[in-house]
Amino acid sequence: MLGYYAQLALRSFRRNPGLTALMVLAIALGIAVCIMTLTVYHAMSGNPIWWKNERLYAVTMDNWDPNQPYDVNNKSRPPQMTYKDTAYLFNSSIPERKEVSFTTAGVLSGGPAVTPHRIATRVTTSDFFAMFDVPFLYGSGWSAAADRPAQPLIVLSRAENEKTFGGANSVGRTLRWNDHEFRVVGVLNDWFPLPRFYDLENGPFSPSEAAFIPFGWAAEMELPVDGNTDCWRPEKVDTYKDMLASDCIWLQMWVELPDRASRERMQAFMDGYWAEQRKAGRFERPRDNRLTNVGDWLKDQKVVDSDNRVLVGLAFAFLAVCLINTVGLLLAKFLNGAPITGVRRALGASRRQVFLQHLVEVGTVCLAGSLLGLGLAAFGLRALQHMYSAARFGRPGGYQELMHLDTAALVWALLLALLATLAAGLYPAWRVGRLAPARYLKSQ
Amino acid sequence: MNLNVRPVLTALLRNRTGAILVAMQIAIALAVLVNALYITTQRIERMRRPTGIDVDNIFVMYSGGFTAHFNIASTLQQDLDYLRALDGVVSATAINAIPLSNGGSATNITTTPKAQGQDNYNYFDIDEHGLEALGVQLVAGRNFRHDEIQPPLGKADASRFVDQVILSRAAAVHLFGHDNPLGKPVYDSLGQVATVIGIVDPVLGSWPANDHPDDVFFEPRLSARAGVGSYYVVRTQPGRRDAVMRVAEEHLSHANPDRVITFNRTLAAFRDLTYLGDRTMSIYLLTVTCCLIAVTCFGIFALATFNVSTRTKQIGTRRAVGARRADIIQYFLIENGLTTSAGILVGCALALGAGYWLSLEYALPRLNLYYLVGGVLALWGIGQLAAWQPARRAAAVSPAVATRTV
Repeated sequence: MLGYYAQLALRSFRRNPGLTALMVLAIALGIAVCIMTLTVYHAMSGNPIWWKNERLYAVTMDNWDPNQPYDVNNKSRPPQMTYKDTAYLFNSSIPERKEVSFTTAGVLSGGPAVTPHRIATRVTTSDFFAMFDVPFLYGSGWSAAADRPAQPLIVLSRAENEKTFGGANSVGRTLRWNDHEFRVVGVLNDWFPLPRFYDLENGPFSPSEAAFIPFGWAAEMELPVDGNTDCWRPEKVDTYKDMLASDCIWLQMWVELPDRASRERMQAFMDGYWAEQRKAGRFERPRDNRLTNVGDWLKDQKVVDSDNRVLVGLAFAFLAVCLINTVGLLLAKFLNGAPITGVRRALGASRRQVFLQHLVEVGTVCLAGSLLGLGLAAFGLRALQHMYSAARFGRPGGYQELMHLDTAALVWALLLALLATLAAGLYPAWRVGRLAPARYLKSQ
Repeated sequence: MNLNVRPVLTALLRNRTGAILVAMQIAIALAVLVNALYITTQRIERMRRPTGIDVDNIFVMYSGGFTAHFNIASTLQQDLDYLRALDGVVSATAINAIPLSNGGSATNITTTPKAQGQDNYNYFDIDEHGLEALGVQLVAGRNFRHDEIQPPLGKADASRFVDQVILSRAAAVHLFGHDNPLGKPVYDSLGQVATVIGIVDPVLGSWPANDHPDDVFFEPRLSARAGVGSYYVVRTQPGRRDAVMRVAEEHLSHANPDRVITFNRTLAAFRDLTYLGDRTMSIYLLTVTCCLIAVTCFGIFALATFNVSTRTKQIGTRRAVGARRADIIQYFLIENGLTTSAGILVGCALALGAGYWLSLEYALPRLNLYYLVGGVLALWGIGQLAAWQPARRAAAVSPAVATRTV
């Protein structure tokens, strides 16, 4: 029976090819725009380490100016930490794992294959890799003993290892980082968390760093921060030591707390430290010490920007117009074909059959529209990806990372096609099924 | 002209569905059109703001030393001497950050010592060639002199201030109101003092998307941070940028084995990247809005055409009993006008609602009502235009149709 309905639908399309094309195109455009914005939105609002969402917490303490909040417009708390506060909190044994880090840049040289080049490098503590489930291709991270005094150990990203050692297992080999000799202890497998939750300062879609070195090197080599350094207190910051002792914020700190009890203990530990410091004259703002899980952290830091929320709204408004348009056209078309339907009804087709027949016709239009829409969306995303990639000189880390047509997009396309069929076709098909046949058998 | 609205309205109310659907489309189209245009105009205004900088003839290089032998002061001098002597170069300077690139430094300055400054001013460390290298115009006072240029900040004096500053006009107004700022002191947060010696205008700093992107000042200092390196801003004669860029990079990357040239890019590329979001957003908004209007327009057209073809017999009858062609055209245009008006009424409410949401989302002023008026007129026009052709087809129906069956 369905085959027969499909045949009828085809015949009906042939009667009004222009109108059919218009409907298919409208649905395709509506769905394409929706898929494009939803793909980007989905990638942007994702939580790249959702399985540890209730274990990983960003540590923040409001150490800001008593006269004004960190962010005057949004009244938000400082997103980074001072050196002295992380140094104290890091001594706590409450967290199962803990991490303090920042991003810097160093010149890599002395490898077999390459000329000296500058690479983004994360200066971090030993738990970083285990905490964030960072995958290793060869070797592993370093032990806590290597953090301080800092040992000359380095972990390379897979891409950097390919560039410097041709992709070979380089564990145990040496190279020079900022003209100091470092020994490779591990090589990461591909790792590109989107957004880069552990440090959002240089753009939420930046790739993870090309190399990782123990935290002790920060003070040892006086490594500058390649992210943001924010200061508020009028204090002399002349030397690196001054910087470490200052109220400037420039560090990211994360802790892994397995359960509620440990979270409460950690919170109490922070509050205790806060109270003690307050007595000594620091922390003059109202108490705001927080442990924020990854999902909330990404929300607080506004990873999804306004433009994207607006575009999702626009996409659905557009889809709505396309669907309403289709409803109108289908209705007109079906009612125009009422005399034929009247004959079919008179010859014994039930209301249900007439309804189904028209629904098959609508479904075909919507399916064709969705397929075309999927194609258009793939093309559109490709174009945008090229545009962003070109503007960033081919460097990764921009919006282009979010513009891959993925399985989520396919699911969206399918859902939207179904939604379109139901929204656009149900009413016209039902309406035409309810027509009294007798009226249409008479002459106009 | 006698407009017969009543019978049209009665007929419409008897057969509501099609009209309601068209009205809904018009309503959404209006809300989207008005708000999309509003956002787009703001983006375009932002992108069009004068930068004050000769963006198209400037390129930027980054030089970073990495060995113990690296002497930053001598390298800086050699590099700048080489660049300034290069054929086709107008001027060059070392600078601490790239204007229009979304990266830079800002600090508090005030007009009274030890005052709690609330506002940050974006600053650039340049030498006496700096203004010329950027192409920024001095409108009052004087430029830095060679002997005023401070040595680079070292590892032990990173909070040292300068003795003179040049302000942007915006920063001058922000700090001094309408007083003449020349010769007046400004203080950094530690109470160190500098004298204002010049005013430039216009100029945009590092962050064009900021509330006050033109709150900028210049410090007379060779820019080089230990372990970080220096940016060189090089301005060339018009049309020679790309050639000079290649020559300069070729030379500098081999001139000194203790450093690397990390990048060499045009300032235009940095500017374009900074504005990329605004640009794609504008293009995307306009494209989708155009598609939306087109779909609506075709929808109205197709529906009107269908209405005409189902009503052929009625139209013939009307013609046969004396209606003129103009009456028939009028009928369809009035019908369209009524539907559009209903849509526009709902659309105005939708547009204002969406505008309110957007003003919260972007912290922008509420939707300008001129846009709404413009949008209403535009959609009215589009509606009438879309109905015009079907209406004419209707008018062409011969009165003889009334006498035939089927």
